[in-house]
Amino acid sequence: MSKLAASISVRARFARSANLERDLERQEPLDGYIVTSRALDVVERIAETAATGPAGGAWSLTGPYGSGKSSLALLIDAAFGGDSAVRQTALGLIDESSREVGARIRRAHRRHGTESGGFHRGLVTAGREPLNRTVLWALYSAVLRSYGGIPSRTAFRASAALKGALADAESDDPRRTGPSPSALVDIACCLAEDVPLILMIDEFGKNLEAIRDGGDADPYLLQQLAEAGQGAGSPIFVLTLQHLSFEDHLAGTSSVQRREWAKVQGRFEDIAFVESASQTRALIDTVFSVDDKSLRARIERWANGEAKAMQELGIADLADPLTVASCYPLHPLAALVLPELCNRHGQHERTLFSFLTSQHRASASSFLDQTDVPAQGPLPTIGLDAVYDYFVDGSALQIESAGVSGRWNEIATRLRDAHGLTPPQERLAKAVALLNLVSTTGTVRASAAILARTDKDADKTLAELELANVVTYRDFADEYRIWQGTDVDINLLLDSARQRVGQRPLSEILSEIDQPQPVVAAKHSAKHDVLRVFRRRYANSSDQVEPLDAFSRFDGEVLLLVDAKGDVPTITRPWAGAKPIVAAIPGEVSALDTAAREVAAVHVALNDQSVADDWVARRELSERLAQTRAALDGALTEAFSTDSCRWVLLGPKRRELRSGRGSTALSDAADDVYDETPRVRNEMLNRAELTSQGAKARSLLLKAMIEHGTEQGLGMQGYGPEVAMYRAFLERTGLHGPDKRNKAMAFQKPVDESLRPAWKTLQEEFRRSTSRRINLTDVYAALLSPRFGMKQGAIPVLVTAALIASSDVVAIYEHGTFKPLLTPEMSERMVRNPGHFDIKHFANTTGARRQVIEALADRLNLQPSFRKHRVANVLTVVGHLVTRISRLDNYTLHTQNLSVATVRAREVLMTAVEPDELLFASLPEALTFPPILAKAQDYDFAEAYAARLGEVLDELNNCLEQLLDQGLEYLLKTSAETSRMVVMGQAASLDGEVLDPDVRAFALSLANDTIESDADWAKAVATVVAKKAPAEWTDDDVVHSRRELDERFASFHRLLALHHERRARGGESFDAFWWTVTRSDGVDQPLLVSDDHPAMSDAERAIAELTRIIGSQKQAQRALLAALGKQMLPKACPDHGASNVLDALDTEAGYG
Amino acid sequence: MAESLRHICGISGGKDSSALAVHLRDRIPDMEYFFCDTGAELPETYEYLTRLEVILAKPIARLNASRGFDHWFEVFRGALPSPQMRWCTKNMKIKPIEEWIGDEPAVSYVAIRADESNRKGYISTKSNIESRFPFVEDGIDHAGVMRILDDAGIGLPAYYEWRTRSGCYFCFYQRKAEWIGLAERHPELFERAVAIEQKVLQDAGVNGDADFGDRAMRGRQYTWSGGETLLQLRSRRDEILERHEATMARADKTRANVPLIEALADAFDEDDDTEPCTVCAL
Repeated sequence: MSKLAASISVRARFARSANLERDLERQEPLDGYIVTSRALDVVERIAETAATGPAGGAWSLTGPYGSGKSSLALLIDAAFGGDSAVRQTALGLIDESSREVGARIRRAHRRHGTESGGFHRGLVTAGREPLNRTVLWALYSAVLRSYGGIPSRTAFRASAALKGALADAESDDPRRTGPSPSALVDIACCLAEDVPLILMIDEFGKNLEAIRDGGDADPYLLQQLAEAGQGAGSPIFVLTLQHLSFEDHLAGTSSVQRREWAKVQGRFEDIAFVESASQTRALIDTVFSVDDKSLRARIERWANGEAKAMQELGIADLADPLTVASCYPLHPLAALVLPELCNRHGQHERTLFSFLTSQHRASASSFLDQTDVPAQGPLPTIGLDAVYDYFVDGSALQIESAGVSGRWNEIATRLRDAHGLTPPQERLAKAVALLNLVSTTGTVRASAAILARTDKDADKTLAELELANVVTYRDFADEYRIWQGTDVDINLLLDSARQRVGQRPLSEILSEIDQPQPVVAAKHSAKHDVLRVFRRRYANSSDQVEPLDAFSRFDGEVLLLVDAKGDVPTITRPWAGAKPIVAAIPGEVSALDTAAREVAAVHVALNDQSVADDWVARRELSERLAQTRAALDGALTEAFSTDSCRWVLLGPKRRELRSGRGSTALSDAADDVYDETPRVRNEMLNRAELTSQGAKARSLLLKAMIEHGTEQGLGMQGYGPEVAMYRAFLERTGLHGPDKRNKAMAFQKPVDESLRPAWKTLQEEFRRSTSRRINLTDVYAALLSPRFGMKQGAIPVLVTAALIASSDVVAIYEHGTFKPLLTPEMSERMVRNPGHFDIKHFANTTGARRQVIEALADRLNLQPSFRKHRVANVLTVVGHLVTRISRLDNYTLHTQNLSVATVRAREVLMTAVEPDELLFASLPEALTFPPILAKAQDYDFAEAYAARLGEVLDELNNCLEQLLDQGLEYLLKTSAETSRMVVMGQAASLDGEVLDPDVRAFALSLANDTIESDADWAKAVATVVAKKAPAEWTDDDVVHSRRELDERFASFHRLLALHHERRARGGESFDAFWWTVTRSDGVDQPLLVSDDHPAMSDAERAIAELTRIIGSQKQAQRALLAALGKQMLPKACPDHGASNVLDALDTEAGYG
Repeated sequence: MAESLRHICGISGGKDSSALAVHLRDRIPDMEYFFCDTGAELPETYEYLTRLEVILAKPIARLNASRGFDHWFEVFRGALPSPQMRWCTKNMKIKPIEEWIGDEPAVSYVAIRADESNRKGYISTKSNIESRFPFVEDGIDHAGVMRILDDAGIGLPAYYEWRTRSGCYFCFYQRKAEWIGLAERHPELFERAVAIEQKVLQDAGVNGDADFGDRAMRGRQYTWSGGETLLQLRSRRDEILERHEATMARADKTRANVPLIEALADAFDEDDDTEPCTVCAL
């Protein structure tokens, strides 16, 4: 049995790509060249011009790789060359396609007398080199080919120019820029004087890339060459071949360059060198020729059947039996998908022909070699599965775009992972895969009907594959998919999404889909050691804009205007101190508009409910989102790039800003607005928000400032960050420096020029608070805003320095309460919530008030608290008073056992809010002096007032001490002894003998010898008695404690008496009772009885008898006691008095 | 250096630590007493401390006096402390103590009684501090503590009448019935606790500081007492007291022979009472 290859021959000439220099004037490249319709079109235009036109022409041929451009150039070269076998071949090929065009070429030769010699033809493949060099090589090659060398000056007028140009081109001298364009044009014209000149530059794109990269554009050469061949010029034919248009090659160059090249391209006639699918398919026809007659007949029969089937399927391209037959051994479905496959995923014809004719094991040619011709039955064909195999194994697919490659990878991976398929299943799966890959819309898709053409059992196999989850049927598309397709019609979804976003303003859309990053005004930031950050947002020119808050962490705002109206927004509250607002006004926003709406549409589609449940659709849309977003980024860059965008500073200082690279405009604005930026040379401190380490260091610095302000280096040691902050911001700037007057360090006006304006403003803010309190946030806001724009991290340090420097005149209030002293913990709270603090400035007093202050300072023995002031002032005095009052104990703060004036003054001191009000009005009034008016020049009572206030303070100071002295005195008096030692000795003698807890505690406190001073001893005893420390006593407690003390001593003395009695009996142990019978009129009689009374047993018997008579032991005891009482204190009073006594006895005797 | 060995005794304002101070007053002559002042103690506590100082005839160092609760509440921008976020313990107890103690070697006397050896007080992790437990060593139990206090004549702090522990007036460990006690004994303090809670609630709300929720209150408690505001709690006064009495009575009655399951169910109140503030209850 013979192989198919024996009967079918393959014309393999297209199998490789052409190279101009190598293949020039050779027969082989033209063997079997197929003059496609579009190739013919190019040849025809040149022939037409050459045969009948006035001069020459210029064409630029743009077509993808592998589409046969270079081969076409070889064909043209041969056709217009001198008489030779190659020219015969070329003209023969052209004749095959169109005799008319062939005739025109012959006519052109006749017209120019070139039948034997041919045209001058310069062919060159461009490299990444300047255009003039490429053109020079083309001209040189033309000269060499026509003359065999550079002819003499007489034979060729431009020979000197050519030699000079060659010398220039080859020179290493950097001063030489290569051949001059005019010389080259001259050489070309000189050549064309003789016979027409054809210049063909292949890979012209490389020249264009060199221009793009090097920027040294010489477009005029090309323009001049083109112009030289036009109108009444010389017969010069210029043909450039490239795979992208001039414009695309030059994308990314400056707009000036692009405009220049657009002009040049205008001189050229642009020919798109792209073949349609059916034209490509027509090429297949030319590859195979069936030499065997019987086989041809069988093929025709087969083709009839297949064509009919194709017609039924609605595939018009392959409904003609001749076409089907010409494609054999390709199955018509394979022939159907091949052009699309090669165009979309390969290098066009190059890929197509390599599939058809190469020696690759999966190629068509190999198929013919390996496949037998069956004696009968259906003819073997190359099906979709074979095409799939070639393209997968041969890695012939070139990945063109992310979207397609994603799909391709998904399909290929799924198929590779589908193990255990039977050969028919595998074949069918591959067919589905291939159709999925090329199908767009319309008839070519993996429908059941089309798949049925691949195999007679396709239905069954499909069902198996579906069951195995290898393919899925998708309803909406009526096709099987190898990949997990989606039921969502993404295009429809996107269309409706586009409509939805189409109506909305662009600024709104952009704000939703894009959050522009803040931008740093780089130049300004570097100049001032500060990070100036501008927030960016999209806006419309008709917007009303509010300036940023002073406390915003941004230094300004950029409004990206996207409504292309050219106006700028208005600022609602324009004022000089507001942070800057800059408008960026792009020249052109249409590209941005399109891109943004597309991104928004994809977003809308992605959020659609149908997509939420469909990961395939979601993934596809996500891929699209990535693509459209890239486009949006490009459009944004373009719109707001420096060339095309205007920058305007809004507000009172409105002006056009300098534009330039990067953030130039913003730096320009910042320079203008923040022209008094204080220099803070510590990166850790100079921030809007400190790091935790920075915050800790600043906290240490503030503490040192408050506690050690007069010390060198604030008393800080080492090299910690707080020390670095100190050196950079306080020491170096002179904010903290030596104060000559006091020979100590102090906070003062900075030496650093950049800090002075801020310091001045701080002082102004302090002054502003003379008439009323101002909140500290106002001070912060002033420093945060223009013209300073300080960072929030450094502000507390500067403000604290200023507060300390002005501590004698600036009062601080926290939550409205006057604070006499700035403490580190207050400072911690101030850093956190400056809004909780107010300040008020107390200007130095004069006149009467000054008199008073001086008198008070003198009486209270106050030293001027700070260096600048010779005398104390309001705050020094009030600070002293408040501090003294706050140290008083609760007793002193509440007792009425003070002079009337002191009580009144105390109330005033405890409730005062305003320092001056206290000192000049309420306190004098409490002490019955007239108030000291602000404008009074003299005050007669200054000394008297000071003296009285001094007395008040002394009285308060001594109050508790006096109470304790009196307490000690009373204690000793009550004890009826003269010294503590005696009482202690008495108490100690009772050690271990007392059971009653109160008495016991009392005795122990009297006996306590760990307390040294008498006063403390008295205090401890008083505390035990009153169950409250004297410092906490009220006036009632004083009275109560004395009563308690009386009672405790009474008990104590009774115990002592018992104790003595026992000692008197020789110290032997005995039990005894101390009875006191008290009558209701207060008369009482004590009695000590021992329990070993000789008549004790008689008495017990009597009681038992009495109990028997009365019937209750308790009642018997009571009766007995009543009788005893009556006997002992005969002048008895009414009954209830006696019963009280008895009740008391009951209790003491334990009968209660 | 033996001469620089410090002896320290922390006072919580409760009975045990006070008793320990008294117990040791003539045993350790150089004892230093300290109290971590949150600035938010009950008035009874402050009064009791003054009493104790007189009895000891020595000052009790008040640590942290200038940075009390109000300070930290402002610095933390209004985050309530809670069992999960006990910044009060850290900032007002542990940090000041460790700062005060410094790095010198010290002996710390801890008031854990002989009958409660499973309790833990503040036992420093600092290596320079040695902890001693005199009550455990001397076998002093609850009755022993009461006797020490009685003998010293200072008795119990007045808050024991209505509250079981010393500590901040708003302590989030206190029982609901104790909140009611606060409302009745110290209405002004109760109002302050309400004000703090209301501020937190307001600041955390939509009208407050925009980033407040993110910064200060993430995952934290918005109310002092679990599940309700103090105002809501106060409106349930009768219910809470009734329930409290019932559980107390039940606990009294069934203290012996309680089946485990019932004992667990009978846990005082509905509050989580298992984890007191160890430092507060020093």
